[in-house]
Amino acid sequence: MSGLAILAELLVNGVLFGAMYGVAAIGLSLIFGTMGIIFLAQGAMIVLGGYAAYWAFRLLGVDPYVMLFLLLPGSLLVGSAMYQLLFRRAAAMQDKNTSLLIAVGLSFMLESVMSLAWTPDPRSITTGYSSGSFQFLGMNWSITRTAGFFVALVATIGVTQFLRRTMIGKAVRATSEDMTSAALVGIPPHRVNMIAFAIGIALAGIAGCTLAATYTIDPYFGFLLSLKALIALALGGLGHVGGALAGGILLGLIESGSSYLLPGWGDAVGYAVFLLVLMFRPQGLFVRTVTKT
Amino acid sequence: MNLQGHTPGQRQGTSRGLVIAALVTLAFALVPFVPGAPDHYLFFYLFMVFVYATVAQSWNVVAGYTGQISLAQHAFFGVGGYTTALLATHFLEDGGFYFNPLLLLASGLVAALFAVAIGIPLLSKLAGDYFALGTLGLGEIVRVLLIKGGSFTGGSAGVSMSPEPFETLMPHYWVGLLLAAGSTLAVWWLARSRAGLALMAVREDPIAAAASGVPVLRVKVGAFAAGAFVAGLAGGLYAFYVFAVSPGGFLNLSWTLYPILMCVMGGSGTVLGPVLGAFVMTAVFSAGNVYFPGAHPIVSGALIILVMLFMPSGILRVREGRARARKTVQQVGKGPQASSATTPR
Repeated sequence: MSGLAILAELLVNGVLFGAMYGVAAIGLSLIFGTMGIIFLAQGAMIVLGGYAAYWAFRLLGVDPYVMLFLLLPGSLLVGSAMYQLLFRRAAAMQDKNTSLLIAVGLSFMLESVMSLAWTPDPRSITTGYSSGSFQFLGMNWSITRTAGFFVALVATIGVTQFLRRTMIGKAVRATSEDMTSAALVGIPPHRVNMIAFAIGIALAGIAGCTLAATYTIDPYFGFLLSLKALIALALGGLGHVGGALAGGILLGLIESGSSYLLPGWGDAVGYAVFLLVLMFRPQGLFVRTVTKT
Repeated sequence: MNLQGHTPGQRQGTSRGLVIAALVTLAFALVPFVPGAPDHYLFFYLFMVFVYATVAQSWNVVAGYTGQISLAQHAFFGVGGYTTALLATHFLEDGGFYFNPLLLLASGLVAALFAVAIGIPLLSKLAGDYFALGTLGLGEIVRVLLIKGGSFTGGSAGVSMSPEPFETLMPHYWVGLLLAAGSTLAVWWLARSRAGLALMAVREDPIAAAASGVPVLRVKVGAFAAGAFVAGLAGGLYAFYVFAVSPGGFLNLSWTLYPILMCVMGGSGTVLGPVLGAFVMTAVFSAGNVYFPGAHPIVSGALIILVMLFMPSGILRVREGRARARKTVQQVGKGPQASSATTPR
């Protein structure tokens, strides 16, 4: 196979895998938009979702893509409960350190609980189609990665439509724009926060499910995922759903491209791009600049 | 926020406070002479308290006083540790000594220079959450650079110094005490000085500070570099203690998050809060290590959450708030109109 074909395949894989970062970033974006906090435990929640899919497959034989639909209501519930128990009080405070540290504590706890309960060994779901691929446009497309990409796409469209069409979605957007004014016109801030948080956790569950089906997971993988999701978020612009997906895909591209050109430097290139974007285009790469009044 | 000058009563109180602080420091300095003390687990505990308190104070200056949430203290701690280890192994041939104060100083200076170089572009462009995110990325870049540094930085295995000259933890203990007490003293001075006033002005309202003639960027970069200097010193000291500097051990986000936790728990933006937090949290971590080996991050994580839920502004702040409330009540009671009132409340 020629070098160019390898590069093309790498880039395609980068796009497909990056979509998963995008889903995680959308969750972060929703939580950041409403509550104004960086939810660093998102990665740990993704890994938890991955373990749920893994055990459902191992013990009950549930296919990970079926599990996706079972995980959705469960993670919505978990997210709502987490907001009420852990973040409700902190969200109302001016000082965002508190919520940041709660997320950090949660992330530590989840990591070590998972590591104690299920050992730190990496796990992956091996189904009949796990290593399968199909030919398209003269390239090999991995089935699980392609499936993950479409799951990400559907999730993004789902969230965008929810935010655009439903009353609750509009309330979430209003709160993201301006919490005080939203509260003044009668939007209950805690309920909106809870809904945004629950959707964020549900997206973590979705990302975890597709991750476990395509890749290996271990209890300590979460923190790296949180960072990747943050980068994707910054590339796409804080508080912009479509941009977050695009940011994730771009990050996947950057990582796979640099792993080909500069092996081992993929992470550093990702962070460097992240820093540059933060400094020169903090509104994100995919947002047309609109000056807010 | 106490931005106005100090009353005479307070000044008297602070000189008494200084004497007490000096006595406490002296008492800690004499601990190694207690028979059997240097071999006790508590001795190691105190050493760790000093290291954490130093890093916590470094974050306190940047975030507590200047209001710039830095998530890169571990990067400066790591740069400090690597500076010591690299200088000791590459440039000081024999390595037949341990504990070189000049290396320690070099660790602080390299970290501070690095902070200035990176702080000028970061701080002139980023504020608030964006600055926090940027510093988070900074730490990761440093980590990758050290891993990819080839034989010079030893890759992911890191650099090992010769442990041969090590005899006792006592010098580390004293230097740790010196760093912790010194950084606390520096913060105390800062809190009362004109420079500290500038830091707090930037924290409270950067625009108003700039309008009053405070050079905002210079103040921010200065605080960032000062914090990096202190964190670098702590990193150098820790490198002398573990003899092996690696990306996993030094460029670990815990070196940022634990000090933040200690600051916030004790009360960030206060002089003694970070020290108090360091004592309490290191005790919790050590007890967790002894009694629940393996599960101790669960205990620590749960504790972080509980503290944040029930004491979000720290132990000292809670007390301060109460003291202030009491004072107001007393003043109201002493007022001429209230003289006839029987109960001040």
